[in-house]
Amino acid sequence: MHIADGILSNEVCLGAGLLAAGAVGLSLRKLNDTVSLRTVPLTGMMAALIFAAQMVKFPLLVVPAYGHLLGGVLAAIVVGPWAGCVAMALVLFLQMALFADGGWMAYGANVLNMGVVGSLGGHAVYSLIRRHWSGPRGVIAGAAIASWLSVVAGSALFCLEFALSHRHAEFNISSLCAVMTTFHSLVGVGEALITGSLISYLLTMRPDLVDLPGRSAGVVAGISRLLWTGTIAALVIAAFLAPFAADGADALEATAEKFEFASLEKERPAPLPDYEVPLPGVSYETGVWHKVSVSLAGILGTSAVLGITLLMRRFTRSKLDSREFEATHGG
Amino acid sequence: MAVEFLERYSQGQSLCHRWPARAKIVLTLLVIATGTLLPLEYWPASGCLAGLALVGLSVADIPLGYIGRRLALFLPLVLMTALAAPLSRGFMGAWDTAAVIVLRSTVAFLAALWLVSTTPLETLLAGLCRLGMPRVFVSLLIFTLRYLYVLFDELARMKTAQRARTFQRQSTWRSWLGTTQLVGMLLIRALNRAERIHAAMMSRGWRGRMELLDD
Repeated sequence: MHIADGILSNEVCLGAGLLAAGAVGLSLRKLNDTVSLRTVPLTGMMAALIFAAQMVKFPLLVVPAYGHLLGGVLAAIVVGPWAGCVAMALVLFLQMALFADGGWMAYGANVLNMGVVGSLGGHAVYSLIRRHWSGPRGVIAGAAIASWLSVVAGSALFCLEFALSHRHAEFNISSLCAVMTTFHSLVGVGEALITGSLISYLLTMRPDLVDLPGRSAGVVAGISRLLWTGTIAALVIAAFLAPFAADGADALEATAEKFEFASLEKERPAPLPDYEVPLPGVSYETGVWHKVSVSLAGILGTSAVLGITLLMRRFTRSKLDSREFEATHGG
Repeated sequence: MAVEFLERYSQGQSLCHRWPARAKIVLTLLVIATGTLLPLEYWPASGCLAGLALVGLSVADIPLGYIGRRLALFLPLVLMTALAAPLSRGFMGAWDTAAVIVLRSTVAFLAALWLVSTTPLETLLAGLCRLGMPRVFVSLLIFTLRYLYVLFDELARMKTAQRARTFQRQSTWRSWLGTTQLVGMLLIRALNRAERIHAAMMSRGWRGRMELLDD
């Protein structure tokens, strides 16, 4: 997952670095507003924990392989999105400064793809799901779905950065995007499994660590209906929007190229005839096959997340009676 | 145990280890920046930079086996990313993009490896702080590093305890549950510890700012 130096161009590294610095700076400011004196022990400990937890190998249930936690969504759920974002930036820095894992120039891009998308984006998805789905299962489903999405979104963002870095090279960005997102939708299933089961363990041991605003019991009764409609909606969105999202990357790339045209001309000593091709993505075959593969990836991923949610639901049911839960956490 | 694993070679006494951290950081960043700017036609220059990094590593007494192992872990990942470009065209071109990526990444990786294996992290952080890294971030990093060792030891103790109580080979589901409990319990302990540390820091006059003792 860590981007090494040399993969992205320096302009892209600079841009991603500025974005990441803005997000981390904002997070630090928000933290200082809310819990000023607790910032250092809380965030530092969370970063140390994620670092240590990444060393633990999980035996994946689906395939005979090992996976490990990435942790952005987990951190955001336990200590909040702002502290989670700072903690991920710390973890990535330490991995770079201790092991040379991830490049020095690409540090900003790494923070953006894993930390910012994982914590801020992941927490946004999580709280959106929580708003419509109360109770412990909503928490677990929200955590699992947010983890899966954060991994896939991080890989899509990497594809965009990669495409912007090598605008003049002749490769097909749509199929690159298809390959990367398909691969990462599998990686994301592992992350969703791990985060979901960790959160369900926390819910049984220390439910106070996962903040649970109470909702009326009437909403809980409608869970299964919501589950099915939600899944169908997600499948439809994944199947039909994903190919257009891949095309969207192309469109974005073309726009960015037009925008940066003027500013880069001066800085770049490289030969310029490449600029004569206005839309690099369009001139190559944008075949049907990779759209189909993106759709398939979307459907597979969504089904996998649904499967995890159902599995977790069973797991939680055996550990924790829903009514008892509602009684202790207000309803 | 954890210390050996985390900072394996950075505590040495060679010439490179004794250089001031700021000079090493600036030099490394310069090498990385140059290496990532060089186009494919200048591959001899990239080779020279890689050679320079290798000379630095050998002056710093870093064993060749270790460098080889790190490269063996690093190169497959980079190769996968680099090959994605030709793959997207059905292996009909875009090979130069792949070559550029592999060349630049290797140079940058060797330079970064030289920096991190000749500089202890405290020295590196003090150097970065003097080069203008935000103080909040540095103090957060120092705190994280301090408790990283504590949490690694705690994790090792918990793993030992788990192994001591597990007498037979477990099914995947069982060992999944066990690993979940291990990490979940570590998380709970870490957050409890953070609360205790916060109380201890408050009682010793913590006002939200860490004082750094740099050279």
